Amino acid sequence: MNTTDHGFLTQAALVAVAVLPAAPAAATTYLSTDAAQRSLFPQAQSFEETPIALDDAQRQAVARIAGPQAGHGALHLWTARNDRNVLGYVFIDEVIGRQDFITYAVGIDTNGKLRPVEILEYRESHGGEIRNKRWLAQFDGRASPKELRFGTDIKNIAGATLSSEHVTAGVRRIFAIWQSLFATPGAPRTEVRGAMIEAAPAKAPTRT
Amino acid sequence: MISFSPRRARIARCLAIAALTSLGASTQAAAATQEEIESRLQALAAQVQVLRDELAALKAQNAATAARAAAPVNAASMTAPAAAVAAEERKSVDWFGYGELNYQRPTDDSSGSTADVGRFVLGASYRFDDRTRLVSELEIEHAIASSEDAGEIEVEQAWLEREINGSTFAKLGLFLIPSGMLNESHEPTRYYGVFRNFVETAIIPSTWRELGVALQGTTTSGVRWDVGLTTGNDLSKWDAGSTEGIESPLGSIHQEGQLARAGDLSGFVAANYTGIPGLGLGASLVGGDISQGQPGFDNNKLALWEAHARWTPGAWDLSALYAHGHISNTASVNLRLVGNPVLIPENFYGWYAQAAYVAELPNAWTLAPFARFERVNTASSYAFIGAGLTPSALDAQDVTTVGFNLNIAPGVVVKLDYQSFNRNSGSDRIDVGLGYAF
Repeated sequence: MNTTDHGFLTQAALVAVAVLPAAPAAATTYLSTDAAQRSLFPQAQSFEETPIALDDAQRQAVARIAGPQAGHGALHLWTARNDRNVLGYVFIDEVIGRQDFITYAVGIDTNGKLRPVEILEYRESHGGEIRNKRWLAQFDGRASPKELRFGTDIKNIAGATLSSEHVTAGVRRIFAIWQSLFATPGAPRTEVRGAMIEAAPAKAPTRT
Repeated sequence: MISFSPRRARIARCLAIAALTSLGASTQAAAATQEEIESRLQALAAQVQVLRDELAALKAQNAATAARAAAPVNAASMTAPAAAVAAEERKSVDWFGYGELNYQRPTDDSSGSTADVGRFVLGASYRFDDRTRLVSELEIEHAIASSEDAGEIEVEQAWLEREINGSTFAKLGLFLIPSGMLNESHEPTRYYGVFRNFVETAIIPSTWRELGVALQGTTTSGVRWDVGLTTGNDLSKWDAGSTEGIESPLGSIHQEGQLARAGDLSGFVAANYTGIPGLGLGASLVGGDISQGQPGFDNNKLALWEAHARWTPGAWDLSALYAHGHISNTASVNLRLVGNPVLIPENFYGWYAQAAYVAELPNAWTLAPFARFERVNTASSYAFIGAGLTPSALDAQDVTTVGFNLNIAPGVVVKLDYQSFNRNSGSDRIDVGLGYAF
């Protein structure tokens, strides 16, 4: 090895020593829950945490419509309100990317249209391309789980196939849950009473 | 029967108030007409019905809550409290794996048919803290590894990942080189055909891993960049008496983290762009001194570069890749090897173009017929070592592959293809494969 290599090695080692321990132990959060809610429904004055409960029939319908899923973590729902009017709903979900969870937010307005998906946390080096704004914007305006086919409606990301596929399937599942809760025939679209209300309050997503 | 629970007591009060109010109203209405009385009775009946419905809903809700309290917590139940509990109980170790089982049958000579457990891989990742994670893979190739068998047991990956900031990660350990499209995404569910393509096995020696340190970053505009400093190849491992060097020049001199000579290091840079949904463009350069200070080897530098593109309009999946390798100062080494069948090439290259159509079938199956054309030359030129001594460059090998991938469940693929070789049609074969990844 020549002396130039030694110089480069030394510099690389110095950079590594300087950078690695300096990083705090907590991982980066791209968006907080509050920021994601505001980003999805900027006009909303309040976000009321809304427990989710599905009966067996609804659960089966969700599974059928959502299709195959990767592993999920916690799922939470908020109702976005402006005065007494419901503007829409914010779901925050966790889904396995390649090996670890991606936390993402999905907004659905009262007309049943999706807002662009927001990534709150991405925890592994592989597949970080999923934060690309143009990819996330593909979800904007979709009005049915049938418009969320991976590969055709929502494009694959080369090099981040699993992450992009799993988030797409996750959004399909959220849309199916939304339909069960708020868009079933005869059920009022803008009232949370359409769902069976859980007694215990839900907890904000946390990392473990 | 009305119970003593606070909710039901509230309902009972409401009913009583409604009844009294209506009674009062009817007393005042002594002089009212029969029609008015009937109208008010109807209103009262409607009010009672609303309250009865509300009471019934409350009863149902109480019953459901009691049933859930008695049932074990299940993340799949999708109730919010259960999901929160599942998050708390999340395990730090994640297991994953993949496997390839295949059958190949030469069309001209069935005696050459083989069936093989090509790869059986188990992996585990472990999160030490929010920013630090281990990724590891242990692989068995060809089912059995012993002194009498052809199989191998390999640590394919063992690296630590450290998040520096939200878009930059450091890697330390034995990790995959970001060269080409297949090397980092090599599970059988991720490529078309029973076997990995020839370019990304003969020219880019997947699964290519090295020991070292690397930085990887992504931007929200869709750029991923990689830079790393790693162990490299060892040219002194070249076996001029074996055909391995013809099959894969770099594959025959790789070190794979096994007591790797590390006097000379290699480096890589790679960039990929996926900013436009459906489009992927990328390129990489891997290089370094591969003489490793061994006697008779001096300043032998490797440079392997590649560029690739993938485009997925509609249900189509189109991709292409070109890779070129160059080893410098091979003349003096080859002079010592004259008389052996396989000398060290100065240049080698390969490219392919592939088209697949992903058709959706019922039950979430997909069927993807595909065709791929490849041109590979593992010795497109040799350094000049004298007339009569310099080996002739090889002819390029063209391989045409047609077949399909049938995905029958997420992570399970059945494959069938036919491969045709221009240089040696006796090698034409039919391949059948089963692959899985979890």
